[in-house]
Amino acid sequence: MTHPLEQVRDDALREIEAAPDEQALETARVKYLGKSGSVSVWGEQIKTLSKDEKPVVGRLLNEVRNLVTAALEARAASFREQKESGALARIDISLPGAPNEIGTLHPLTQMWERSIEIFRRMGFALADGPDIEDEWHCFDALNTPPEHPARNEQDTFYLSDGNLLRTHTSTVQIRTMQAALPPIRVIAPGAAYRRDELDATHSPQFHQIEGLYVDENVSVADLKGALEFFMRELFGSGTQVQFRPHFFPFTEPSLEVYVKSKALKGGERWIEVAGSGVVHPAVFEQVNKARSDKAYDPEKWSGYAFGLGMDRLAMILFDIPDIRLFAQNDLRFLRQFA
Amino acid sequence: MKFSVNWLREFVDLPENPEEIADLLTRAGVETENIETRGAKIEHVIVSQITASSRHPNADRLSVCEVDDGSGTKRQIVCGATNYKVGDKVPLALPGAKLPNGLEIRKSKLRGVESQGMLCSPIELGMGDEASGLLILSPDAKIGAPIADLFPTDTVLDVEITPNRGDLLSHFGLAREIAALTGKKLKSTPRESKIPVKKTGVSITSTRECPFLSARRIDNVTVGPSPQWLRARIESVGLRSINNIVDISNFVLLELGQPTHAFDADKLKGGINVRLARAGEKFLALDGRSYSLKADNCVVADQERAVGIGGVMGGEETGVTESTRNVLLEAAYFLPASIRRTARELNLPSDASYRFERGVDPEMVLRASQRAAELIQEIAGGTPVKEVNVAGSLPPNPADVSLRYEKCDRVIGIAIKPKTVDEVLTGFGLKKISAAKITKWKIPSFRPDLQRDVDLIEEVVRAYGAERIPGTDRSRFTPSSAADRAHDLESQMRERLVAAGLNEVRTSKLLPRERFAFGENAIELRNPLSEDHVALRPSLLPGLLGVLDHNIRAGAERVAIFETGRVFEPPSGAEKKRVAILIWGNVGGEVHWRNEKRRVDFFDLKGAIELARTGLSFRRGNHANFALAVEVTAGNQLIGLAGQLTNSLASTIDASGGVFVAEVSLDFPVSGLGSRTTFRELGKFPAISRDIAMIVPEDLTHERISEVIFHPTEPLLERVEFFDLFAGPEIGASKKSLAYRLTYRDRSRTLTSEEVNAAHAKIRERLRSDLGAELRE
Repeated sequence: MTHPLEQVRDDALREIEAAPDEQALETARVKYLGKSGSVSVWGEQIKTLSKDEKPVVGRLLNEVRNLVTAALEARAASFREQKESGALARIDISLPGAPNEIGTLHPLTQMWERSIEIFRRMGFALADGPDIEDEWHCFDALNTPPEHPARNEQDTFYLSDGNLLRTHTSTVQIRTMQAALPPIRVIAPGAAYRRDELDATHSPQFHQIEGLYVDENVSVADLKGALEFFMRELFGSGTQVQFRPHFFPFTEPSLEVYVKSKALKGGERWIEVAGSGVVHPAVFEQVNKARSDKAYDPEKWSGYAFGLGMDRLAMILFDIPDIRLFAQNDLRFLRQFA
Repeated sequence: MKFSVNWLREFVDLPENPEEIADLLTRAGVETENIETRGAKIEHVIVSQITASSRHPNADRLSVCEVDDGSGTKRQIVCGATNYKVGDKVPLALPGAKLPNGLEIRKSKLRGVESQGMLCSPIELGMGDEASGLLILSPDAKIGAPIADLFPTDTVLDVEITPNRGDLLSHFGLAREIAALTGKKLKSTPRESKIPVKKTGVSITSTRECPFLSARRIDNVTVGPSPQWLRARIESVGLRSINNIVDISNFVLLELGQPTHAFDADKLKGGINVRLARAGEKFLALDGRSYSLKADNCVVADQERAVGIGGVMGGEETGVTESTRNVLLEAAYFLPASIRRTARELNLPSDASYRFERGVDPEMVLRASQRAAELIQEIAGGTPVKEVNVAGSLPPNPADVSLRYEKCDRVIGIAIKPKTVDEVLTGFGLKKISAAKITKWKIPSFRPDLQRDVDLIEEVVRAYGAERIPGTDRSRFTPSSAADRAHDLESQMRERLVAAGLNEVRTSKLLPRERFAFGENAIELRNPLSEDHVALRPSLLPGLLGVLDHNIRAGAERVAIFETGRVFEPPSGAEKKRVAILIWGNVGGEVHWRNEKRRVDFFDLKGAIELARTGLSFRRGNHANFALAVEVTAGNQLIGLAGQLTNSLASTIDASGGVFVAEVSLDFPVSGLGSRTTFRELGKFPAISRDIAMIVPEDLTHERISEVIFHPTEPLLERVEFFDLFAGPEIGASKKSLAYRLTYRDRSRTLTSEEVNAAHAKIRERLRSDLGAELRE
């Protein structure tokens, strides 16, 4: 036969399970486990039982109390969860996320970093030189003696001490060769200056990456390979690259580099992006003279050099219509490139 | 330079499509920048002659012309131009004509007067840019003839000639190049002069600047308008017709590349001489301006005065005019460097100087003289004297150049057959004079730019085609340089600042005259071009203030920017690398539902500086532009300045609230490993924290309190965090309340509460006794 406690247990569990809310659950708790609850009262009753019955009913009472307590807790937990998920359900998750304000690198820096990254993969190290230069490094050493038609003093900013602002980063070619022995494989990012009126495509200060590779048997083919690789890395593998003979005093042969890519705006025409060429032996001779040695023997060493216009490349890549935007630094402009 | 395709065709056969010519030249390094179609392919526009002209009865600016159109009946045309005279021949658009600009001509009434057509300006006919008056035609134009007959359609190529290729600055020269590139034969070449020379009558004093001079007298010329064909030629490439003699000189320059000059022989006193100018010698040039000459300028002079700046421009007083009867035609060879210097010094570039400074072909001097004399004889009816007077001698032919085929392959990077190399060089006019292992080449007189083997190799590349040389991969291992390491550190710093919400800017290194503060003593340019770029920045701050100014004007409510870059320290101009930071406005920027709403302050700036460089200390300083000036030091060395700008400075750029700026040096030694971080053991045993709250005098600094906490060293103390600052009436005047959290830990065991209490009590006691801090329990 069943003990009455078992009946109480079954009633309690059923009632707890059926409790519709926290209040009903509390009523059930008081009803069964309260001071005079129908489970609790057995604590007193047990004292009146015989010696034989006492342990049996005692065990049963413990069991029942534990079961009911656990059931109450489980039911209460389920009420809490319901409440929480109700609150979460009401959150408007479409509200803007907390502001993680992050700044942005200037588009020219981005252009520079991107270019440097590509050239480093090709095995170029960085080199550096001053913005304020002397005439020798800017012109004479680069095979542009006085009265040479390419020596554009009119387009050069001078300082009162006779020094000048370099008109190209090619000066770093000379400085690098003065300081180190071949083979040389460097790029030099930097500013250059020309006495140009500021307009949509000209700026008195502009930015370049100079490149120089001096080794044995460096050829036009090597130059083409390097710049074709660079341009395709920069503008995409579908980019066409064209080399057109040109004239620079410090390279011979000299080649201008053009790209064409459907991915670029106006990409159906050739866009000039760089000047390049095989280092003129007269440049090596000037370097040797300055070094007072024959380290750069033009019969043993040859090289290629190039200059990329960073402003121009960034304008092409980011579709920027006006070079003046770079120096204006309007935050609405800068933050487009975040 | 502009080239007429029709003119080029006189010397060489060309492809029908001008694009093809342009492409051919461009691929060979002679870049065609523009292609323009010229000429009057227009119907119903004819040659007419103005026979009478009177004021329009109802309009001051108009006149009513009577013109002869060749039909026998006169036409009445209303016209707005004023540059004609009765008797001039001008283009007449008849009713029904459609002009290139889309205008359709009809009979119409203008202010009540009938106009039976329209007289045209050059621009209306699609010829040149001249819009200010009627196109005055040559007197020999046939009345009634279609205009299209006078101006055959032509294509004009605008070609960029590189400074090494003076030989291409003429139609003959470019045709010769095209012939070489296409393998075609030249249809004609200027004949060699057969005129006997006489070494008298002219002389050279400055033989270095002018090695060779020739002059030929042509008597009894009739100066007048040029015939239509001559005008059409020179106008097609953008020159204006002056008179037949001047036009012929220009024509020969454009055709053969050799400048010549025609003097009015009767205005010269004695024979001409080329000498250096006297310093300060005054000269009135053909452009109507007076020049003060320098001692190294070369002049053509008669017995009394300079009559021309040699190779640059003739003189006004001795120029050819309508009344000139006898002409002295001068043709010379000038030293390129001398001409370049003179044209630059006098700021007087001319078509002649442009060619002389790039080197003219010595062999063309007398040919051009002869060609001009023949044309003058033909067109102006003159009689050239039998002989040409000369002085000096023409410069020698360029030196022979040696070339090894193997070197050619090495420089280009592929094997090119010797036969191909020979064909290319021969095509360009070179002659192989030694076929030994090292070949030797005779260079034609017009190619002084070919001086060494690489110059010949470039010719091979141009003719062979750069596109046929495949690219090769020569990548290799290269150790990083000091510049690499410096760049990487700078990049990392930039990225930290960007992550902290600052925007990188790049401002001009050239400062404007109206510069902001911090630009004082900047090194100035000797020859600035505009007031916007006159000096080299000695600081990054003027640039940042300019950016703040611009963005405030553009409506920004927060500006948080930084720049890294070079500055030029006056007075030496030493180039130093720096980073500068500027913050202004509200924290967090845009309005956002979760944003903290407060203005930025000095500690926002300080936090940013500490992101840029570590190991810095800050101490109070003084600076005229700062309301709060803080010196930034590293290892006791002053490396920068930070703080809040004075109100007066901030208000010049309309920046309300504090503007916080800092500029710190980035020139510090970079070791091979950069700033290397090494591992520290993670604390395995639990830490115990105790807070200290204290009230101290207002002027007691955090730095001083930290010092007392840390010294003498308490071995169990792991770290100290400052977490609260409060001041107010509850605390008392001139006092502040600070709160610190001290964390204790031992690396090898768990601490007991008693040990921590003991250590903590010592520190509390020091604060009380050394600083008089009022500790809260």
